[in-house]
Amino acid sequence: MMGKYAAVVPADLYYSRNHFWCRVVAGKNRFGFSSYAIKLMQDVYFLDWQVNAGDKVALLEQIGHIETSKAVSDLFAPIEGTLLGFNPEVLADPSAINVDGYDKGWLFEMDGGIDSLMDANAYYGFLAENWEKAQRMLKGKINAGDD
Amino acid sequence: MSQKKLTVVLSQAQGKDPVRRAIEEEIAAALLMEPGIDLGIVPALYDLNEGHTGRLYLEGVQGDMVVISWLYPRAAYWLLDRDGIQGKMGETNIKPADNNDDDDDEGEEASKPKGIGAVKFQDRFIYCLDLRDAKDHRTYIEEVRRIFSECKQRWGAATGDSKPAIVQLGMNISTPASTNGNATGSTAFPKEEMLKIPGRRWYPVIDYSRCTNCMECLDFCLFGVYGVDSLERIYVDNQDSCKKGCPACSRVCPEQAIMFPDYKSPAIAGAPVGAISGLKIDLTKLFGGGDALVIAAKERDKELLRDGRDAVGLTVGIPKRQSDKKDSPKDELDNLMDSLDTLEI
Repeated sequence: MMGKYAAVVPADLYYSRNHFWCRVVAGKNRFGFSSYAIKLMQDVYFLDWQVNAGDKVALLEQIGHIETSKAVSDLFAPIEGTLLGFNPEVLADPSAINVDGYDKGWLFEMDGGIDSLMDANAYYGFLAENWEKAQRMLKGKINAGDD
Repeated sequence: MSQKKLTVVLSQAQGKDPVRRAIEEEIAAALLMEPGIDLGIVPALYDLNEGHTGRLYLEGVQGDMVVISWLYPRAAYWLLDRDGIQGKMGETNIKPADNNDDDDDEGEEASKPKGIGAVKFQDRFIYCLDLRDAKDHRTYIEEVRRIFSECKQRWGAATGDSKPAIVQLGMNISTPASTNGNATGSTAFPKEEMLKIPGRRWYPVIDYSRCTNCMECLDFCLFGVYGVDSLERIYVDNQDSCKKGCPACSRVCPEQAIMFPDYKSPAIAGAPVGAISGLKIDLTKLFGGGDALVIAAKERDKELLRDGRDAVGLTVGIPKRQSDKKDSPKDELDNLMDSLDTLEI
């Protein structure tokens, strides 16, 4: 799906188009990075949230920023709703994101509808469908030099 | 005259973070004991308004200066430049902790920015150190020592030949800063006045080493923040007309020349441009980020509405870009179009 690498996509989770997984834990939607996202970013160095617990956020509103060994990116809300809280452990030490991304490396919890999310099958299809495009984008970025 | 002192200005963190205050105090205590160093302590650099004693003190510093703050060096340097506290950018050896990327750290420097540069008035060096780069205060003390010896070498060289010329020109560059006495203790700048906490401010800072004077920020901002100086260079005219929290013009800038030193994402706060976008891939699009212009227009609309004005969306001051187009050599048609542009037809 990602060239010669296989991304692990657990079947019991839901996925957003911007590469977060979602699991309902004690009535809250818990989100983390899919292994696809982690594979692209590699080791997380720095994670920063720009919203606070209790804030209402729109779909794809910017909520934070990440810097990893290979990439930087702003981060955007996977659903519309209220932010309930962040995983304090990965804020203190983001390595759990790389070590145990689908469990201890969770990122934040939100209230709000998750009907828009995909199941594992659909996400797998989404990845396969977009891999060509993603590759083109990545190569473009690398070749673009200072932009 | 070569017995000049080096001025070190420590800019405190905003707020009362005990961890930050502790490292500031360790550095201050060590520098007070350091021979040849004049230490001045001011509140957060970014917040110093015109007339603040801390700022007057900074304006009065003569000769080379080290500024230690909680800002990215690039942000601190250009912030001072805007306030008329100018000099050449001194190179520091302190680099961000996680900047040990593979092999090509230096290579990126090759892509030199094509900005219009600063208008320099003072022949001296300003070194900006970022307090977030190292946890141990000794790192900063050692760096100050290294810079001091670098400065002394330069001063030594200068007194050798060029000094008489300077005197003839009537510029008192070689007046030692130390005649002002110990900065923090001097009567001109009473300590309590210097350390008076100013109100929080919010305004853009232009990095003229990147700015190409394209004026897109001037067109985009509808709050009258930007202006043009007597040399027809863009500059931040009305700093305090800026809308707190809004970084929209920074996103519009095609050269990443506009910084908001207090903004949360490093790219906007003034992180080294090479490290952020040169060495690393920006995955923002992949993670659901929209076009920077769309985000900027939304941020601007929010502030317009808050002011009781109408939102303008993407209709005003949005530069037309062909961002996906490769930079190909111009052909004859392009040249023809360019010449039409200059004729203003």
